[in-house]
Amino acid sequence: MAGVPSLAGQPRVFLEHYLVMTREGIRGTELMQQVLKGVSDREIAAIARHYAALEPRAEPGPRDAALFERGRHVAQAHRCGTCHAPDYRGREQMPRLAGQREDFLLEAMLAYRENRRRGGDTIMAASLYGIAEADLKALAHYFAHLP
Amino acid sequence: MRRSACTLVAAVALAFAATAAWSQDKPKPPPAWWQGKPEAMKDSPLAPHPGKMTETPASEIPIERIKLPKGFKVEIWAAGLPGGRAMAIGDSGKKIYVGTRAIGRVYEVTDHGDKRTVRVVIDKLTQPAGVAFHKGSLYVMAIDKVLRFDGIEDNPDVAPVDLTDRFALPPEPHHNWKYIAFGPDGKLYVPFGAPCNICEVSKEYAQLRRYNPDGSGMEVIATGIRNTVGFDWHPKTGKLWFTDHGRDWMGDDTPDDELNILDKEGAFFGFPYCHAKGVPDPDIKKPDPCKGVTLPIANMGPHTAVMGIKFYTGKMFPKEYQGAAFVARKGSWNRTELSGFDVVVVKASPDGKNAKVQPFMTGFIEDAKARKFWGRPAYLAQLKDGSLLVSDEQMGAIYRVTYQKK
Repeated sequence: MAGVPSLAGQPRVFLEHYLVMTREGIRGTELMQQVLKGVSDREIAAIARHYAALEPRAEPGPRDAALFERGRHVAQAHRCGTCHAPDYRGREQMPRLAGQREDFLLEAMLAYRENRRRGGDTIMAASLYGIAEADLKALAHYFAHLP
Repeated sequence: MRRSACTLVAAVALAFAATAAWSQDKPKPPPAWWQGKPEAMKDSPLAPHPGKMTETPASEIPIERIKLPKGFKVEIWAAGLPGGRAMAIGDSGKKIYVGTRAIGRVYEVTDHGDKRTVRVVIDKLTQPAGVAFHKGSLYVMAIDKVLRFDGIEDNPDVAPVDLTDRFALPPEPHHNWKYIAFGPDGKLYVPFGAPCNICEVSKEYAQLRRYNPDGSGMEVIATGIRNTVGFDWHPKTGKLWFTDHGRDWMGDDTPDDELNILDKEGAFFGFPYCHAKGVPDPDIKKPDPCKGVTLPIANMGPHTAVMGIKFYTGKMFPKEYQGAAFVARKGSWNRTELSGFDVVVVKASPDGKNAKVQPFMTGFIEDAKARKFWGRPAYLAQLKDGSLLVSDEQMGAIYRVTYQKK
């Protein structure tokens, strides 16, 4: 669904953190905060295990070769793979970017850059500080089209 | 050596140029933390360790693995505080307030003698790491908020007074979670970290300030401090001793984290030009980078993440610990093999000379080479009976260390 991130195949620890913080009301949308109200730590751990075990099924739109290539360069120059893994499939507390929805990725990165996104790791605000919007668009396009 | 450093800088410059060429919008400064991550380390798998945001029951904490010098004992004093780190003891001595980062909560631990209960005082804050207690009030400082809870020990539901506007907190979040404490002068001491790994900073950052308790009378009392999240005042001299985190991405063994003394107000501690006991920065250069820099009294190990410091003023521990400083080292991420993950004791002259750093509380590392650990000691507090509390941010627990003569 537009703007809604894909959870399948995300790292277990990332999901656990994300779900706890959403329940606590410091991350995610109001709708998700309502959904997770009163869910226990134990249940959250189980939900995280479930989604982490699912096979991700990306359904990106048509690929723009130039934009994809530009995204690849920007990702390399900014060392995104250091934390998110060289294949951008994430690890531990760092989410999978490969195959994530393009619209979601772009909005998330814009929000980090503008300090609008609460609850995430401050290192993301620092990492995206000053990056041009056109570069963020390229990054989102590139990640969304990775397996 | 010199040549390879130049090559690195050239490679970094090239990478910047490549990024700039892809940008169509007006040129902007490079992302701050990205600076100083050289081309040679671009494939390094090192990244900060994940915290644990769910409760860990006491039964799942391997307390038996903790090692202490002979005669000391450790027990789990409180559990079920995910992310709990800095501790502020209430005036009654029965309640302890505990700050957190990512999970956004402040906990209150009530000591019933035989057991402890935990409740959440406030949640949904952005990294409320700073907690301090002063004249009946709890002060909480998040990255973007300052709250005061008056009389909270007797009135658990008291609504906080919002002091945010008075403190003029700058906007950058990175390294701007807080450790806060009241000094012997009754003023509130607040650090403002560098919003990057390594960078030139604007005038609001990389410094220590103090305020009147109501947020007025702000003074910048020290600069050139990358990220201090722990300080205490020497019981004899009244001088402020503070820990400071060294920068990342300069290799496994340099620079060391620091233990400093603020001897003269207005002192400059070297960031970003000069690290540890005189290591020039390879990225941010200037002539004589360590000139005029107050150097640390002790190197605390590379990447060890020095956190809380507490001078021991009790009588329970043996003489050699009385007046010494305990320092918690939360442990390294930017290092191939784990270092830190312990509490050390620093024995030094009152002026900081002849500082010796010795292990005190260890056993949190499972396998240093495989980068496996189970706990991360973060902060210290001393109870009235002279026992020492140690918070473990990973386990969300507080341990109590006691000593008994045989």
